Amino acid sequence: MAGPPVTAFVRAGLRLLTVQACFNHERMIGVGVGYATEPLLRALPDGVTGDRYRNAMRRASTYFNAHPYLVGLAVGALARAEHDDVPGPQVERLRTALVSPLGALGDRLVWAGTLPAASAVGLVLSTDARAGLGAIAMLGLYNGPHLLLRVWGLLAGWRYGTRVGRALANPLLRLALRVVGPVAALAIGIALPLVAAHLVGAFDLAVWAGVATGAALAAGVLKWVAPTLGAVRLGLIATAVVVLGAAW
Amino acid sequence: MSGGVLAVLVAWGVVTGVDLVSFLQAMVARPLVAATVAGAILGDPGAGVLVGMVLELFALEVLPVGGARYPDYGPAATAASVVAVGGGVAGVALGVVVGLAVAHLGEWSVVVLRRWNTRRVRDAAPGLDAGDLHTIQRVQLAGIARDALRALVLTLGGIGLAAAARRWPPVEGRAALLLLAVLVGIALATAAMNGKRLAPGRTGFAWLTVGLTGGIAWLALR
Repeated sequence: MAGPPVTAFVRAGLRLLTVQACFNHERMIGVGVGYATEPLLRALPDGVTGDRYRNAMRRASTYFNAHPYLVGLAVGALARAEHDDVPGPQVERLRTALVSPLGALGDRLVWAGTLPAASAVGLVLSTDARAGLGAIAMLGLYNGPHLLLRVWGLLAGWRYGTRVGRALANPLLRLALRVVGPVAALAIGIALPLVAAHLVGAFDLAVWAGVATGAALAAGVLKWVAPTLGAVRLGLIATAVVVLGAAW
Repeated sequence: MSGGVLAVLVAWGVVTGVDLVSFLQAMVARPLVAATVAGAILGDPGAGVLVGMVLELFALEVLPVGGARYPDYGPAATAASVVAVGGGVAGVALGVVVGLAVAHLGEWSVVVLRRWNTRRVRDAAPGLDAGDLHTIQRVQLAGIARDALRALVLTLGGIGLAAAARRWPPVEGRAALLLLAVLVGIALATAAMNGKRLAPGRTGFAWLTVGLTGGIAWLALR
């Protein structure tokens, strides 16, 4: 089988950076998946004018949703399945089967792991006098694994094709899943006292009483009274109360 | 603020807005990053860092899973820095308020954008169903353009709100300090509650507690 050239993978990788550009309620990121898969399909027999290319493209841009950093796994695997001449219905079943695992894996690994951990490290370093150190550290810590995940996903997807489930059993991935949540919780725990001291440490007891009031309010309201209110809306309501109180 | 600085600031707001979902997702949209850079553009990165830290704690509440709704903190943090720079404690407090308000508007704007995208995808359904590359490309790239427009409007609105807050501050002096304290309290509790749920069962709470102990010890030894 003559696979796609390296440039096709580079192009697909770059297009994957825009995979959510047309996020919508009908196909979710399906259009983005079709756009990213297309360079890998050009090397199908008969090229871009052939039936296989047209049919593959038709399948590629239907409904799909997953974590954006792991979509590459699906793009690679689906493109490989098309090159391996896997029957269309089986390609569609593979596509459907990948939605949940790639979503759940990415959510745990990135949104509930790498991101809060990098954020906490950034916050800790922001208490340093050198402004910008925290932001730089956060971007570095976050984007290393982020870009690695994207590149690995595309290449592993292509390598495994319809057996892409094996890629998800990667021992490094399993290890990361086990440790990243606790690491993030630990990092946030370390960050909180340092950030509190940095932001309001120089002020008097009344200010600390204000911090305690705000914290108790958030814990009470967001946990028991109105869990769906959200911290942003609670912050705006608290602001209105303080401003009205000051005016009164 | 000169016209050049304003242009760079607006451009930065658009970059952070697009980074949220449409392009790259490198987390330059996170408030700590967005506010620090906005502060640097305005000549005071330190003020940007302060306002960004508070908003970052708020942002830790968000797990942007699936099609969940979430605030857009990039343009919000950019606007927040406009209030914070040169405004002292009151500037940081009002900056956080402006940031929260714009982030909330940003959440709504993302919902509107997704509906708009849905309509465009429906319109393009025949081409998409036929697997036509030009249709796919057009729909995809137009999605980025729509998001950039959303981010532009949000950033401009946010900067306008920030300018109003600077000109007519609703609280000053001691009241502003207390407002900042309450907001920091809400932000800290929000981050702690989120930290607790990052690991299954009681593990998250345990690790958070270990971290808190470590952080307090670090403070004591410093």
